[in-house]
Amino acid sequence: MTETGLAYRATGPAIGGDRPGDELVLLVPQAMRARRHPRAIAGVWAWETVLALLASGPTAVLARAAGHGDGPLWTAGGHALLDWLWHDIHGLRALLSGAEMVLVLAAIAGLVPMAALMAALTYARRDRRAAGFVQSLAAGSRAFPPMVLLLVLVEVLQALVVLAGGGLAFAVERWAHAGLGEARAEQVEGAVFLLFLTAASLVGVMHDLARAAVVRFRVTWIRALGLGARTLRASPVVLWWSWAWRALASVAPVLAVSAVASKIGGRGGFALGFLFALHQSVVGLRVGLRASWLARALRAVDRAGGNERRVPAIEGS
Amino acid sequence: MMRAVRWSALALLALASLAPQNEGVSVPLVQRGRDLDLPAPSSADAATPAAAFVTPLAGPAYDDDAALPAHADDVADYTLIATLDPIAHTVHGEGTITWRNTSTRPVRELWLHLYLNAFKNERSAFFRERVGGRGSEAPEDWGWIDVRKLVLRAGDDAPVDVWPTAEVHRAGDQDETDARVPLPRAIEPDETAHLDVVFDDKLPIVVERTGYRGHYHMVGQWFPKLARLEHDGTWAHFPFHHLAEFYADYGTYDVTLDVPADYLLGATGPVVESHVTGGRRIERHVQTDVHDFAWTAWDAWHSARENIDGVEVTLLYPPGFASLAQRELETLRFGLPYYSAHYGRYPYEVLTVVHPQEDAGESGGMEYPTFITTGGMWTTPPGLLAPEIVTLHEMGHQWFYGLVGTNELAWPFLDEGLNEFAEQDGMSKWRGDGSALDLGGLEVSDAALCAVSGAMGVHDEAVAQAANAFSTGQNYGSLVYGRTASVVETLRRVYGDEPVMRALGRYARRFRFQHPGPDELLAVFEEVLGSRIGATLRRALFEKGWVDYVVDGVTAEEVTRAAGVFDRDGQREKVETGQREGGGWDNSVLVRRRGTLAFPVDVDLMLADGTTRREHWDGEDESRRFSWRGSSAVRSAAVDPQDHVLIDANLENNRAGADGRGASATRTLERVTYWMQLALQAVSP
Repeated sequence: MTETGLAYRATGPAIGGDRPGDELVLLVPQAMRARRHPRAIAGVWAWETVLALLASGPTAVLARAAGHGDGPLWTAGGHALLDWLWHDIHGLRALLSGAEMVLVLAAIAGLVPMAALMAALTYARRDRRAAGFVQSLAAGSRAFPPMVLLLVLVEVLQALVVLAGGGLAFAVERWAHAGLGEARAEQVEGAVFLLFLTAASLVGVMHDLARAAVVRFRVTWIRALGLGARTLRASPVVLWWSWAWRALASVAPVLAVSAVASKIGGRGGFALGFLFALHQSVVGLRVGLRASWLARALRAVDRAGGNERRVPAIEGS
Repeated sequence: MMRAVRWSALALLALASLAPQNEGVSVPLVQRGRDLDLPAPSSADAATPAAAFVTPLAGPAYDDDAALPAHADDVADYTLIATLDPIAHTVHGEGTITWRNTSTRPVRELWLHLYLNAFKNERSAFFRERVGGRGSEAPEDWGWIDVRKLVLRAGDDAPVDVWPTAEVHRAGDQDETDARVPLPRAIEPDETAHLDVVFDDKLPIVVERTGYRGHYHMVGQWFPKLARLEHDGTWAHFPFHHLAEFYADYGTYDVTLDVPADYLLGATGPVVESHVTGGRRIERHVQTDVHDFAWTAWDAWHSARENIDGVEVTLLYPPGFASLAQRELETLRFGLPYYSAHYGRYPYEVLTVVHPQEDAGESGGMEYPTFITTGGMWTTPPGLLAPEIVTLHEMGHQWFYGLVGTNELAWPFLDEGLNEFAEQDGMSKWRGDGSALDLGGLEVSDAALCAVSGAMGVHDEAVAQAANAFSTGQNYGSLVYGRTASVVETLRRVYGDEPVMRALGRYARRFRFQHPGPDELLAVFEEVLGSRIGATLRRALFEKGWVDYVVDGVTAEEVTRAAGVFDRDGQREKVETGQREGGGWDNSVLVRRRGTLAFPVDVDLMLADGTTRREHWDGEDESRRFSWRGSSAVRSAAVDPQDHVLIDANLENNRAGADGRGASATRTLERVTYWMQLALQAVSP
C-alpha cells in the first residue's frame, strides 16, 4: 500500500459492505477531521444524553412530587432545595446509587460509541461517502475487547502514577510546612502533584493513541500499546499539547456557563429553554473537542504505524 | 464558638434566675427554662403586628445609643504579666486580681476557674463529654495550669496564701477546672479583696481553642479566673464543659506580654506600651469593660491594619492568606457598622482578628472580647462564603455574649443562638440570596442553612436549656444555633424587619454589661412586638414549638345546575345531571396549620387563566378553607409562597395542584441531566 497525494492507492481488501461501494476503506490522515463528521459527534452527544436522562429522570420524578412541581426548589436562597434534600435524603441516596451505576457502566460501555466515532473519523466508504451509523457501530464493537484490556491496564497505570504523586506531594508539603508556611507549602505540594498529573495525562495520551491504533489498524491491544508508545515517543510535547489545549478549552465553556447561569435563572419558559440550549451547546462542544483530539490521535498514529494498514485508504469526501 | 456540635453529660448547673436589673423589666417569666407558666395567646391581641405593639415601658427605650452605659460595673480586675517560652510552650504568669463583692451577702469562699486543666487529662469534664467535632480527640501534647501562690489581701488583715487550702477537684471527680478556695474570713458586701497570684501554664497542642502548633501560639483560658458571683451571693461556677465556658464579671484587664522579639503579638485590648529589650518583645495591653483576655504570638504572622467605623482593626494571618484576609476585612467593613447600628455602638477602640492556619484550625472560630479567631482554607473559592460567615459570626459575639455578658452554660441560645440570627441576618443583607454559597448558578443563603439544620432536633428537646443538658452534640448545634436563628428570622420575616430588629437592638442595648437571662430577652420582645408574639417566641424556644403549613386540598368543579325534576311557574322541568350553568367554577382550597405555633401567612391561589389571587390567613385556627365561585378554575395553591415562615417543618406540602394534579419538574430534569452529562464526560473513555 503506497500513498499517492492525499489518497492511499487501494491495494488491499476493504472492510464489509453488502453493496458495491459500501465497504470501508481508510481515509488518508489529512482527511481525518472531526468537523467533517457532525453526525458522528451528534451520535456521541445523543448517547451521553440518553444515559444522562436515564440517570436524571428518577430525580426529576422525585422533584415533581416534592411540593407540586420543582419551581420552589430553584428559587434563590435554596431553602426549599435544602428542605427537599433533607426530607428526601433516603430516596436521593438511592437515586445517587443508580446514577453511580450508570456512570460505571458508561465508563465501560462508552468504549463502543467512542470507537464508533473513531471509526467514523478514520474510515469512509469506497465511494467516498462517510461510513454509515451501523458500519461505524460495527467497527466500534469490534474494537471493544482490546479497548477494555487497554482501559484496565492504563487506568491501573494512571492510578499508580497519581497515587505516587499524591504521596510524594504530601511528603514534600509536610517537609516544607514549617519553613514556608501552610499556603506556600501547599502550593509546592500542588506543583509536585501537578507534575505527576501531567505524567498521568501523558499516559492518557498514549492510551488514546493506542485506541487509535486499535481502530485504524485493527491490531491487538498489546500491539496497539506499542504503537501508541512509539507515536508518543516521536513527539511527546506536540501530542500532549494537542490533547491539553483541547482539554483546557473544554473546561472553559463549563465555567463560563456556570458564571452566567444564575443570571439567566432558568426557572421556566424562555429562560429555561435558553439555559437548556446553552448547556447542550457546552456538552456538544466538549464532544466536538474530544472528537477533534481523537482525529488528531488517528493522524499521529497513522504516521507512526503506516505499515500496519491492512485496508485501502482514500482521500474521502 | 462557631457551630460547635458538642454536648455535656454532667448535671445541669442551675443558676439562679437573674433578678430584674434595669428599669421597667417585668417579673421573671421563666425559672431555669423548666417551670413555665405560659399564658395562652390573648384573643384581645390583634393578629397584625402593628396592632400588637404595646407602648414601651417607662424610661429610655434603648432604640438608639443615647442611653447606652459608658462602662460596665468594674468587679474583677486582672493585672498580669505573662512570659512565653515558645520552645517549651509554657507561660509563666503573675500579678494581682482585684475583686469586689457585689452581692448582698458575705462571701466565705472563692471559685476559681482553671480552664487550661481541661486539657490536662482524659478525666477532665471537657474530655469526658466528647460529643464529636473539634476538641473530641485527645491532644498529642497535654496542657495544664499550676497555681503556685494565691495570696489574699483584704482590709487590714495580714496577707495570707489561701492556695494551700484550695480544693482543686471534688471528691470522686478528677476534673481540675473549677477550684474552691476557702477564705480565712468573709469578704463583706462591697468589700474589695486583692489576690496576688503566681501560676505556670503548659500549653497543649492546639485543641479546640488554645495551644501551640510549632511556633504558633494561641493562648486562651490561660489564667486563674474568678467565677461570677451572682447578686444573691451564689457563685456561678462550673467546670470547663465541652459545650460552654463563658460567664464572668466585667473588669479591667491590664496584661503585659513578654515574648521573643521576632514574635508578633495580638491580644485583647489596645497596646499602651511596647518595647523590645534583651531579645524580648514586651507589650502591655489594657482594656476596660471586658470579662476575658486572650492572646496569640507567632513569628510568622502577617498583619493588616485598618480603621473601620472608628475601630482600629488588626488582622493577623499566615503567609499566603492575603486574599482571604482581604475578604475578612471586607466582611468587617460591612459588619462593624451594621452591628453597631443595630445592636449598639461597638465600645472598644480595637478589634483583633486572627486567622490561624488550617493545621491549627481548632483554634479558629472563637470569640474573646476585642479578639476573635476566624478560619478557612487559603484556597476557599469566592463563591463559598464560609470565611465571611465565620468572621461575621465571631465578630457578632462581641455583642452577643461579649457586651451583654450572658451565661453560656445556662442559656447558650442567648449567646450562640442570637448571634447566629445576627450572622444570617447580616449575611443576607450584605450578600443577598447567595449569602452562604453562590457557585455555578446555585445560590444558597445562610438563613436556609440555619432553617434546615435547626429543624433537625426540634421534636427532641427544647432550645432553651443548659448547654450540658442537651442529649447530643448534634441537637445542641442544631437547636442552639440553627433553631434559635430561624425562629427569630421567622418573626422578622412575618412581622417585619423593623420591629424585630428594634426588639433585638433594644435587648442588646438595654442589657449591655448587665448579664441578662431569657426573661429579659422575652420581656423586650413582648414589649416591642406584643404579648402574643412574645408568647410565640417563648413557646418556640422553651416548648419545642413547631409549625407546618399544608395545602390539603385544591378542587375546581364546574358550576352545574341542580339535577332532577323541578316545578317552576307551573311548568315541570327536568334537569339532567352535569348540566352546565354559565360556565363558572366552584373552587375550594383547604389550608391547614399543624403544630403548636401560629403565624399569619399568605395563600396564593393560581387560576387557569394565568392569574394569581393572594389571600391572607391569620393562621390562628387549625385550618382555613377558601371557597369561591369564579369564571376561572383554580389550578394550584401555595401557602406561605414568600417563605416567611422559615421554621415551617415541611415545605413539600406547602403547594398542591387541583384534584391531585402534579406539576412539571423540567428545571430539575434540565439541570440534573446537564450535570450527569458532564459527569459522564468525566468518566467516559
